[in-house]
Amino acid sequence: MNAPNRELREIVREEPVMRAQILGILRDGPRTVPEIAAAIGSPTHEVVFWVMGMRRYGHLREVKGATDEGYFRYEAIDKEPA
Amino acid sequence: MTDYDVLVVGAGIGGMESALKLGDMGYRVLLVEKEASVGGKMILLSKVFPTLDCASCISTPKMAASIHHPNVTTLTYSEVGGITRGSAGRFQAKVTRKARFVNETTCTGCQLCETACTVAVPDQFNADMIQRRAAYIAFPQAVPKKAVIERAGSSPCSYTCPAGIQAHGYVSLIRSGEYEKAFQLVLDATPLVGTLGRACYAPCELECTRGSIEGPLPIRRLKRFIADIHYDKFDGPGIEIPEPNGHKVAIVGTGPAGLTAAWQLARKGYGVKMFEAAPKAGGFLRLAIPAYRLPSEIVEQDIANVTALGVEIATSAPVQDLDSLHEEGYEAVLLATGTPLSTKLGVPGDELDGVLSGVAFLRAVKLGEGIDLADQRVVVIGGGNVAMDTARTARRLGAREVTVVYRRTRSEMPAHHVEADDTEKEGVRFVFQAAPVAVLDDGRGATRGLRCSRMAPAKAGASGRSRPEPVPGSEFEIACEVIIGAIGMAPDTDGFSAQVRTNPNGTLAVDPETLQSGSAWLFAAGDVVSGASDITRATGQGQRAAHMIDRWIRGLQLDGFDLRLPVVDKDQVLARQKAYRLAVPLDPSEVLSAAPTDFREVELPMTEAEAHRGAGLCLDCGVCSECGECVDACPVDDCIDLRARDQVLDVEVGAVVVATGFKLFAADLKPEYGYGTFKNVISGTQMDRLLAPTRPFNTILRPGDGKVPERIAYVLCTGSRDETVGNPLCSRFCCMYSIKQNQLIMGALPIADVTVHYMDIRAPGKRYDEFYEQAKAMGANYVKGRVARITEKENGDLVLRYEDIEHGGGLVEAEYDLVVLAVGVQPNSDAQALFPEGDLAVDEFRYVAETDEDANPGQTSIPGVYVAGAASGAKDIADSILHAGSTVAQVAAYLEHAKVPA
Repeated sequence: MNAPNRELREIVREEPVMRAQILGILRDGPRTVPEIAAAIGSPTHEVVFWVMGMRRYGHLREVKGATDEGYFRYEAIDKEPA
Repeated sequence: MTDYDVLVVGAGIGGMESALKLGDMGYRVLLVEKEASVGGKMILLSKVFPTLDCASCISTPKMAASIHHPNVTTLTYSEVGGITRGSAGRFQAKVTRKARFVNETTCTGCQLCETACTVAVPDQFNADMIQRRAAYIAFPQAVPKKAVIERAGSSPCSYTCPAGIQAHGYVSLIRSGEYEKAFQLVLDATPLVGTLGRACYAPCELECTRGSIEGPLPIRRLKRFIADIHYDKFDGPGIEIPEPNGHKVAIVGTGPAGLTAAWQLARKGYGVKMFEAAPKAGGFLRLAIPAYRLPSEIVEQDIANVTALGVEIATSAPVQDLDSLHEEGYEAVLLATGTPLSTKLGVPGDELDGVLSGVAFLRAVKLGEGIDLADQRVVVIGGGNVAMDTARTARRLGAREVTVVYRRTRSEMPAHHVEADDTEKEGVRFVFQAAPVAVLDDGRGATRGLRCSRMAPAKAGASGRSRPEPVPGSEFEIACEVIIGAIGMAPDTDGFSAQVRTNPNGTLAVDPETLQSGSAWLFAAGDVVSGASDITRATGQGQRAAHMIDRWIRGLQLDGFDLRLPVVDKDQVLARQKAYRLAVPLDPSEVLSAAPTDFREVELPMTEAEAHRGAGLCLDCGVCSECGECVDACPVDDCIDLRARDQVLDVEVGAVVVATGFKLFAADLKPEYGYGTFKNVISGTQMDRLLAPTRPFNTILRPGDGKVPERIAYVLCTGSRDETVGNPLCSRFCCMYSIKQNQLIMGALPIADVTVHYMDIRAPGKRYDEFYEQAKAMGANYVKGRVARITEKENGDLVLRYEDIEHGGGLVEAEYDLVVLAVGVQPNSDAQALFPEGDLAVDEFRYVAETDEDANPGQTSIPGVYVAGAASGAKDIADSILHAGSTVAQVAAYLEHAKVPA
């Protein structure tokens, strides 16, 4: 959590690059932000940007109901091949 | 010049209200908004106080009316330039309609362009809590609900590419994992994707903005990456063969210019036949560039893209009579024969056995003519890329010793610096500032050595380069059996001299814009026009030639080839961030040997991880990458037009209403609260977005880790009533919006505890105090006393150190999951910039001054210019609307008074 802050632009620019990595992790089942962060070795606040950006543009969605620790889990949305 | 009665600047609630009321009175109003939608800050709120009505429900009818009112013309995504007093007391202004690159009439607001866009940028409409795309609709309730493509200009990589390849575009597609689309984007410019992915000298990388951070992106190698992936899967280009259009074009020469022109024309349905004098197609790509740099099978794959479209290539088919070709039915002929001739050494003995030209040598090697240099000593003369290719090829053919002799210094070598470095690493010796004087005869008509003279720089010639001159008495000899001259190349145009005008150096004289040469049907492109250049420039010329030939055959004006936006200023790109994280360099890309023995490719392919990492470093200089995904995704033909440009309108108006609103206090100016450093310290505006139905997250989450917060604190008066930040004023609505948010949070998160740290609650309006009491009754805890400092714990929780006045006045610490800073407002200096003559007075707090605030609210220091809403001082929504109403009355009185004859 206390990882040094990077510039906002730098973090959000990376969403397309991180997308495949995050979706790869979600292939094994829904994960919370801290779980995704641990899996890809990135700070949780950066993962929030990527997950929420991916949620906004239809790559993943939240599973109903937060965990006991207060985190939502996110699952990949299967897309029809173009 | 267009006339209106009133110009209203800013379409927030104050501006919209002013415009609508003036329109209702019958005045013709021009309402100008710099953002892509009207609505200002209000439309982004969750609800309004004290009624908790939906902000959108109140705003959107006014937003729609401001677009549809018969007397109101609304221009969004537009900016007002200087407003000056014109004749007869009226005002003149320039309004710039920034290009949306989307047709406002035909855009349906479907958002498919946004979903497809490959560039992510911070979303200012969500207080930077999430990203939007470069192609975007401002927000779901935007009016007009039309997309905008944010373009700051051409990205330097794309702008500088002589081949017209959208480098930023394919980099952007690669980082999104869209490799085939990236390949197809390069194909839009040229069929030579594999070739340019290996043998281009990458001027794009020289211009890459990242170059001033830790080094440029590996843009060329990324192109090779997508070419390798494509050719692993497909034999051809992977596109549909176009319907023939019934026209025929002949192309003489099959180098990069000819192949690119053929490709472009064939894609438009032209029947193209190419004529090649050599036994194999490809020009220098196939017959000069060594396989260790550019394997022949890659060139063949690129050429197969062209033939897949039906282009016919005749080899060993030299053409001398261009008129005959034309008479055979080829409506246009393109000459792209390159520079196949070598410049002779021009020194005594250059006819001896063992003296070769670089071009002929490389060609013989590529054609497998069995040249063996085993144990030979070779001298290569020249400092260009052909000289480097020649020297490295000689090493691979077994030469015991290879020496490059160049008459200038290393830094003046025309060869690409990487080529020169690699040549040295492969065991080639360089002798700089030396020139040949004579080839030495071994007495049997063969070469035994080269006599050279040391050269010294003398005065600069017409080209600006110094002209080296021999140093008297400095001659020396280099023993060798083979001498290869690579000192220049020239076109072979003698055969065409009757039909085409040539320059003194043998190149063809053409119109530089249209590339027409001699007859209107005869075009020329590539090195035969420019002299020896490089693949990328020749490719670009081929593209231009195809464009012009197509337009000439269709009877259109020969223009419209270069449609680039001006290149972005790299300093401005870099200034978008205060700091950059330095990237770890990619692993070395080449395997070089000091004694190479074969022609295996020396450059390694990129792994997918490397490609992602490399592409992920792109700074998106131009914002939009021109990847074309939006164009492909848009269901409306020609709706997206990347050729659109800004338009400047001249308008004349009788009066002006300044409704530019306010700015929010930048909370990082209170570093003791940690905004911008602690991830779970947010502003009140950000909380409003989290509470809005169109929120950026799925619910209220803390940005640090996505946790649902249970303990939320508010710090009121952040940046208001605070002399330490230069703002002694109360911002008037922070208390109330905080109380509103308190209630909404408790509704959304029933288990959350909300604590508000305040100096005193200011709730003076109708039902405001009742609203405050209601929040307390719901369970919000109000603690009187200022917060001194916030610190962050390892888990992201926050510790507030505050004064608790009502419980003894001691310093207390409390821990929270999330802290909201109720930031105040500040004046918007945009208002003053509207008047370049500098006569719009501001008050001591920098708000637009109302010269007679009590008796004539809205009047400014300039007769005929009025202010509405929060541009003159902090106001909540209701007060902004009221103020706009009074301003409208002032404007109407002014306009009516102006009609009365003096």
